[in-house]
Amino acid sequence: MILNSVEVMFGGQAGDGSLTTGDLIAGVFKRMGLEVYTYKDFPSRIRGGHTNYVIRAGVSRDYGMADAVDALVAFDLEAVEAHIEEMRPGGFVVFDNTDEAIPEHLRRADLNWYEIPLARIAKEDLGLELVRNTISLGVLGALLGMDPTIVRADVQGVYARKGEKVVDLNLRAIEAGERYVHEHFAGQPSGYGLTRGEEGDRLIMMGNDAIAYGALVAGCRFMAGYPITPATDILEWMSKQLPKFGGVTVQAEDELAAINMTLGAAFAGVRAMTATSGPGQSLMTEAIGLAGTLEIPVVIVECARAGPSTGMPTKTEQSNLNLLIYGGHGEIPRVVIAPGTVSESFEFAALAFNLADTYQLPVFLLTEQALCQSKATLAPFDLEAVAIERGKLIDRGAVVFGEYKRFAFTEDGVSPRVIPGVEGGMHLAPGSEHNDGGVITENSRNRARMMEKRFRKLETMRDDLPKALLHGVADADVGIIGYGANRGPIAEAVDRLAAMGIPTRFLQLRTLWPFPEDEIRAFFRGAQHVFVVENNFTGQLDRLIRTVVGPVPALRALRKYDGRPFRPIEIIEPIQRLTDADLPVEVR
Amino acid sequence: MATMLTPKDFATATPSWWCPGCGDFGVLAALKQALAELGRVPKDVAFISGIGCSGKISGYVHSYAFHGVHGRALPVATAVKLANRDLTVIAAGGDGDGYAIGAGHFVHAVRRNPDLTYIVMDNQTYGLTKGQASPTSATGYVASVSPNGNPDAPINGLALALAAGASFLARGFSAQPKQLVALLKAAIEHRGFSIVEVMSPCVTYNKVNTYAWFKEHVEDVAQRPDYAPNDRLAAFDALTREGQIPLGIVYEDDRPTLEDGVRLGETPIARLELRTDDPRFATLQDTFR
Repeated sequence: MILNSVEVMFGGQAGDGSLTTGDLIAGVFKRMGLEVYTYKDFPSRIRGGHTNYVIRAGVSRDYGMADAVDALVAFDLEAVEAHIEEMRPGGFVVFDNTDEAIPEHLRRADLNWYEIPLARIAKEDLGLELVRNTISLGVLGALLGMDPTIVRADVQGVYARKGEKVVDLNLRAIEAGERYVHEHFAGQPSGYGLTRGEEGDRLIMMGNDAIAYGALVAGCRFMAGYPITPATDILEWMSKQLPKFGGVTVQAEDELAAINMTLGAAFAGVRAMTATSGPGQSLMTEAIGLAGTLEIPVVIVECARAGPSTGMPTKTEQSNLNLLIYGGHGEIPRVVIAPGTVSESFEFAALAFNLADTYQLPVFLLTEQALCQSKATLAPFDLEAVAIERGKLIDRGAVVFGEYKRFAFTEDGVSPRVIPGVEGGMHLAPGSEHNDGGVITENSRNRARMMEKRFRKLETMRDDLPKALLHGVADADVGIIGYGANRGPIAEAVDRLAAMGIPTRFLQLRTLWPFPEDEIRAFFRGAQHVFVVENNFTGQLDRLIRTVVGPVPALRALRKYDGRPFRPIEIIEPIQRLTDADLPVEVR
Repeated sequence: MATMLTPKDFATATPSWWCPGCGDFGVLAALKQALAELGRVPKDVAFISGIGCSGKISGYVHSYAFHGVHGRALPVATAVKLANRDLTVIAAGGDGDGYAIGAGHFVHAVRRNPDLTYIVMDNQTYGLTKGQASPTSATGYVASVSPNGNPDAPINGLALALAAGASFLARGFSAQPKQLVALLKAAIEHRGFSIVEVMSPCVTYNKVNTYAWFKEHVEDVAQRPDYAPNDRLAAFDALTREGQIPLGIVYEDDRPTLEDGVRLGETPIARLELRTDDPRFATLQDTFR
């Protein structure tokens, strides 16, 4: 009997309702007190094409995907064909056999098979084919041993606003699914059982929800964006909420406009942000350089997806780190922070605005599809802990014209910033190099001083940047470095390796620029092997680390670039092999 | 206070980089005059410009001036207006900045109709890169990158804007300052997106479209009997008729602005008090429970 850990996958055609059903079961798991992580693996199209939605439930918070799928709900044969290899031995498949049959070569003997005519039951017994999704939830509930009252409570909660009829229909669908299992498979238990986890007040939301919500609470009142997967959720959410708080969103004509609008609103004194993904980020590059030289606080959310060009728009990747750190002509100070959990996505959204305002520069909030569009359970946010720090902003009153210098040379590199409307603060903010008063000049001495002033901010901000988190055993021989969505699978790998008697330590980087050189150096001390885990081909993080520690033999790359997030076993196995003296060390 | 302002109140200490005789001097003088006559105060004027000779104009107007990247003045200006609706927002740039690299934004700013004024200083050439054809250069115009004559047809910026839903279109000539001041004043006072295209000759590179040439080709639409600037078809006819360059307010109507469309509150966003203890935040958190 497998208790309290299960990964369910719903697979079918896009538009079939896999997402709705997945969200339903995620809600049931949450009500059962379990921790949830979801992963959307859908095609970049609206109708048709194989799609799947993974819901992982367990007792540990902030894990990602499991090693394998425990329960596959396949609405068509294609879902079985696509995912049969990902199934854990001993797992089970619920297959809708209304129109199709499982060919023998796919019928793995190490799995339990539940072939149920979901669509037929939906149509004939309930009068609506659409509810086959809900029937499958009833089936799963019975097979996984979920508390039927919790399943019903969740369905009731989700459909309540659609009216009594819809609630009733879905409740009957649940019952039909449960009944079918009891009547046909009483002698064939799934081998899985779920008990309730710890009760507690928790939220469930996507990384993108947390970013948008965090930005709103932190005082963001302007957002401009151009729709792009997987960032659009943020613009959508803000478009609903910002007007209620006196703010505004603009759906720009392109990302060039979106970033320039963000600069404009910030120049005028409003906390402003944009959110985009790789292709849009490429377009924004020039104006971000302008924000750097004009010392305008802007927040840019990068929801990374698999590139280059159109790439795989709905798949995950960590291949835009170089773009954020190095993108653009010329040199500007900038900040890149990367949350590793949904909770951190909220915290860092708020922090991004404080860093931007305090140091007057562009701040990138870097996330990726496997985090920003994944839901997770988390503790409620402490709203009182959110502070709004606007730095050296002068947003009312007057300054003395002639004395006031917008780009004044200061010890910390930060100059007092006026906004339009403040008497006496009139000045030119030019993208051309300028003196402390904003007058365009190519004077060599001024140029050097101005570059030094702007870059001084990266030094003065060090203490305000999120520190890397150390997980595991601090003096273990084996280390792992990673960031973003990889926090989940790496943390799980560390826990499971510890249970196997292999101590490891994991440095979760949270600030990626300015690069945390001291923390990297300290982490390498005493380490025999350090694995750099990242989702890209060329090793963008790996190369940054090498610039700090040099060509050390301890450094080992663990890379994945197929558009899918790491499963913990993909991190555990190479480390296991490494620590097993009989096996040759062969890690790319 | 308002009546006491003079153009000098909008002067900056920065010496101009323009060539002697450049049409842009006329635009600058007229704009300062218009702002002074309207009683706008420098602290409440945001002046956003693009790149090119004409883009330098923001540095010569005492205001909150923003000299951004090439072609993007309008997105910046639109957002400044949304961020603080109490400001007088003016954007300016050349024909290259507005109709080539910034053409996309131009059309969309027209559609949105934010309450700001856009001045296009049209010299029908690229001045700062030393004389290439611009999007408004005539077909056949000989320049360094088109030695056999410009192969492209010129853009008719105002007609393009009219098709996109413009609510205020005017054209002036930098050598006719009195009219230009009046046009700029009307544009700034117009509620919505106002475009003032100014024929602003380049004395260094454009030897075809000179002051003398313009004097022969311009015609004041207001002088025409029965010209009604609220008649779109008449405006389109005036803007596209061969051989003439209509001056004056070519088209004007009253339609909802971007600020109306997004239901912007009366308090400028930049003046909102930011509080993290707003009870609505806790209510929002409940939606994720």
